[in-house]
Amino acid sequence: MSILRTTDAEGRRIPPWQLVLRYALLLLVLALTVGPFLWQLSTSLKGPGEDIFSSPPKFLPSDPTLDNYTRVADTIPVWEYALNSLKVASANVVTNCVGAALAGYALARLRYRGRRAATLAFILAMLVPVEGIIIAQFTTMRDLGLNNTLLGVLLPGSIGAMNVLLMRNAFLNLPQEVEEAAYVDGANVWQRFLRIALPSVKGTLAVVAIFAFMGAWDDFLWPLIVLSDPENFTLTIGLNYLHGTFANDERLVAAGTIIAVAPLIALFACLQRFFFRGVGEGAVKG
Amino acid sequence: MKTPVTPSTATRPTADGVPGPRSRPAASGPGAPGGSRPGRRISRHLPLSPWLFAAPGLLVVGAFSLYPFFSTLVNAFTDRRTLVPGTFVGLDNFQELLHDEMFWIGLRNSTLYVLGVVPALVILPLLLAMLVQRQIPGITFFRSAFYTPVVASIVVVGLIWVWMLDDRGLINSLLEAVGVGKVGFLSDQWLLLMSAMTVTVWKGLGYYMIIYLAALANVPRELHEAAAVDGAGAVRRFLTVTVPAVRSTMVLVAALASVSAFKVFSEVYLMAGPSGGPAGEDTTLVMLVQRVGTGLTGRVGYASAISVVIFVVTVGLMLLVLRADRKEDA
Amino acid sequence: MRISRRAAVAAVVLATVLPLSACGGGSGADSTDASGKVEGEITFQTWNLQANFKDYFNGVIADFEKKYPGTEVKWVDRPGEGYADKISADAAGGTLPDVVNVSPDLVAPLAEAGIALDLDKAASKYREEYLPEAWASHQVPGAEGTFAFPWYLNTGPMFYNKRLLEKAGLDPAKPPATYDEVFAAGLKLAGASGGKVAALANVPTIEDFGRYGGALMNDEGTGFAFNDAKGIELLTKYKELYDAKALDPQALTATPESSGHKFLTESVAMNPGSALDLANFKKQAPGLYKNIGITDQVSNTGKANMYVMGVMVNAQSKRKPASVAFAHYVTDATRQMEFAKQVAIFPSTAGSLDDPYFTEEDGTDETRVRVAAAKSLKTAVNYTPVLFSEQMKTELRNQIAKALQGKQSPKVALDNAVKACDRLLQQS
Repeated sequence: MSILRTTDAEGRRIPPWQLVLRYALLLLVLALTVGPFLWQLSTSLKGPGEDIFSSPPKFLPSDPTLDNYTRVADTIPVWEYALNSLKVASANVVTNCVGAALAGYALARLRYRGRRAATLAFILAMLVPVEGIIIAQFTTMRDLGLNNTLLGVLLPGSIGAMNVLLMRNAFLNLPQEVEEAAYVDGANVWQRFLRIALPSVKGTLAVVAIFAFMGAWDDFLWPLIVLSDPENFTLTIGLNYLHGTFANDERLVAAGTIIAVAPLIALFACLQRFFFRGVGEGAVKG
Repeated sequence: MKTPVTPSTATRPTADGVPGPRSRPAASGPGAPGGSRPGRRISRHLPLSPWLFAAPGLLVVGAFSLYPFFSTLVNAFTDRRTLVPGTFVGLDNFQELLHDEMFWIGLRNSTLYVLGVVPALVILPLLLAMLVQRQIPGITFFRSAFYTPVVASIVVVGLIWVWMLDDRGLINSLLEAVGVGKVGFLSDQWLLLMSAMTVTVWKGLGYYMIIYLAALANVPRELHEAAAVDGAGAVRRFLTVTVPAVRSTMVLVAALASVSAFKVFSEVYLMAGPSGGPAGEDTTLVMLVQRVGTGLTGRVGYASAISVVIFVVTVGLMLLVLRADRKEDA
Repeated sequence: MRISRRAAVAAVVLATVLPLSACGGGSGADSTDASGKVEGEITFQTWNLQANFKDYFNGVIADFEKKYPGTEVKWVDRPGEGYADKISADAAGGTLPDVVNVSPDLVAPLAEAGIALDLDKAASKYREEYLPEAWASHQVPGAEGTFAFPWYLNTGPMFYNKRLLEKAGLDPAKPPATYDEVFAAGLKLAGASGGKVAALANVPTIEDFGRYGGALMNDEGTGFAFNDAKGIELLTKYKELYDAKALDPQALTATPESSGHKFLTESVAMNPGSALDLANFKKQAPGLYKNIGITDQVSNTGKANMYVMGVMVNAQSKRKPASVAFAHYVTDATRQMEFAKQVAIFPSTAGSLDDPYFTEEDGTDETRVRVAAAKSLKTAVNYTPVLFSEQMKTELRNQIAKALQGKQSPKVALDNAVKACDRLLQQS
């Protein structure tokens, strides 16, 4: 990853003025996207003696402290809840990547009667307004005996219709020729899927992984409704306790926010390296 | 809607791998009996395998999206409430909708939202994706940073923006400093809607940027190289190479963005308040579903009728986008 | 993968077999008989109390289990957000815990659906232990009975900004006490600051109509009546405030949280709050704290508004004797008094408010607020009608906004709101 040459992915040099322009634009967008979070971070570091509602607002904490983070951990069992969230989110990544890749491949690459109907089913599923069906989902879960389990939290989103469609789109964009060559060589459908098609869509797979992780990690209402036992609670439910019945401490809320967001940013930073390495390795090249 | 997969198909054992192709010829593709016919689409597979591939996905969406929605469909014709099982009332709910002022306000706002947000979300993230596509030093950092609004929960994002757009917030302090004066971002019904749209676009930028990045990555680099050899400039290469190469993704983004824009809830709910802005003028359709249908006194039947309308409109939107796609194809 | 697929298959099969109206709710389980041995395992659900009061509740539960050997109480706490949604799902799905922390507006629909146990039948012997108004707060017009033990009460003073009052030429030692004084002060505040400082950050709510002295419902409890002459007068006055910018321009979209911010940033001079806010102010805006004045709730009736929390017993509970016993135990005078010493809430048990803890000042702001609140609670009224649902609140709020914006006259707006609320009421 240590390319310090000023060349782009295609190996061409970039003129210096263009480079300057690029960085200027990048910094501008950076300020717009990250600024609000720095504000939140700054609030979370402000000590009890500092006025957080002063006007005009003060950007830097005068006396930075990690005290608020300790207090969050004292108020709720952050680690246990984060572990639950991690379990659900990781499982969600696996089920979505596998399920969406399989289904997406079937929709894009295989010919069979009913393919249109199957595609339609996924499109319709994506359009269903979730707000209206949550109680019906809960009753189904209870009938399955899965209410109050992490599996119950996982299931409804375990293969997202949108992820299936994303994968379908990625497979559709692959040139036919490569697979046909493999087919002539006698590879069966499973081999073609696993060895040829799948490696070519690593980028999209990484996107699905991120979306799946994020979706499970951020979800609030569904886990709240399915779960009853505090020991099963996920992090988003736990952090909601910081909006107390009796007192709302903005500093704690801010610290909670940062705790919730940090793992996602870290995950994304790791994954995205991977998926850009995967880009050049596509089977398409050959 | 009939589920395309019957449970018996789905649970058929896969261990032997040979569920007898001849027993169900109807399911097999045209290439199956004929063996190799090069030049045709790839179709050589056992007749059941497409279903096996699609089965897990179909079951999950069937059980947890389509089936519950089916009960919503049924409820739309009843007067059911959260704790009171309803009776069949025919089209009463839909008739009530026609005379419900709030319903029309919701339809108007949700439609405006699509018109305001979708063009921005189709174009801006593509430009952003191109900006961060090149491997220049530090780009990994920028990519991750641009993604932060997406990963932050919407509640947090809403709070931050409300705080910034407030009469005494950051933005108004700046506007006053440069002599523009205060702008009532959070008190005027139209400014509120536009502020919410801004937040949607701001939060969506990174999300769609990633989809575009994946698509750009899947674009064979030979195309770019060929165009560069031909001496095409940046703008021309964008229009002649990039746009056609990611067109199907643009269509997908347009479809996703319009569906989620029409179903907007959180941004408006958080910025305009639960009652939907001054006199409820910023209420969107999904907010209305939430307002009338949830809680212990929720009118499930009536809310279901609104859900059905939302569903029908989003299906229409989808068809519209897909149709535009096909026209360009021709 | 395999597991989830199998489960999903099961889901499809089950789902097709099950009747559609799986959300039957309570079939009016008539048995209100709670006599019998207090034993067995029960579940107790609270509303956002775990984070701060874990030790208190664990102590209460341990004491109860010791007093009644053979019982086991499982405590689950839910966060503040989505509480009604969770109760709805549980009530519809038949998974509601045995003993549930509720508020009167939550109890009303549960009582109508037969899910809340009638305590007048099942636990009438405990009735005398509570303040009569508190006991009555969980009675629902149209349903015979009382459906929850009263738990803690709350009421709040009015906080005001002394500096801003002084700047507008008002006496910070004599804050407005009635609505007319608030209106007069509001116009002065706005005038003196050129519209920069408003008096209030919120549009009137149903409680304001009550404290202004108007009727809220008809005597039979079958229809709303806040569109009477008093109501119209109140809204007309608020319109004057709004036009003079003495009501914050963002009031039409305000939430309790945002109006708190307004007060802390000195955009508004007065804000109703609770005794709990005091500590909060100290923490959040120490610079402002010394300017904060505390006075009684604005009221024309001389009575303050109070909020009541309750503890309900699930009528479908399999362990009714234990559930009733525990619900009573957690709300009895000893337990409530202990709880009140942990946090600024007030017991609903008879005589508790005469405890020296609520009558003797020691010079600190905290005790001053506490003593004043306890005093006002003795005559306080829970103005919000039990049947006033979230949907009705929104209807009222939106019609008020129309009147303030000048799109409708106050009378037409209130007539419309009453009509809409009556319709919602009849549908229930």
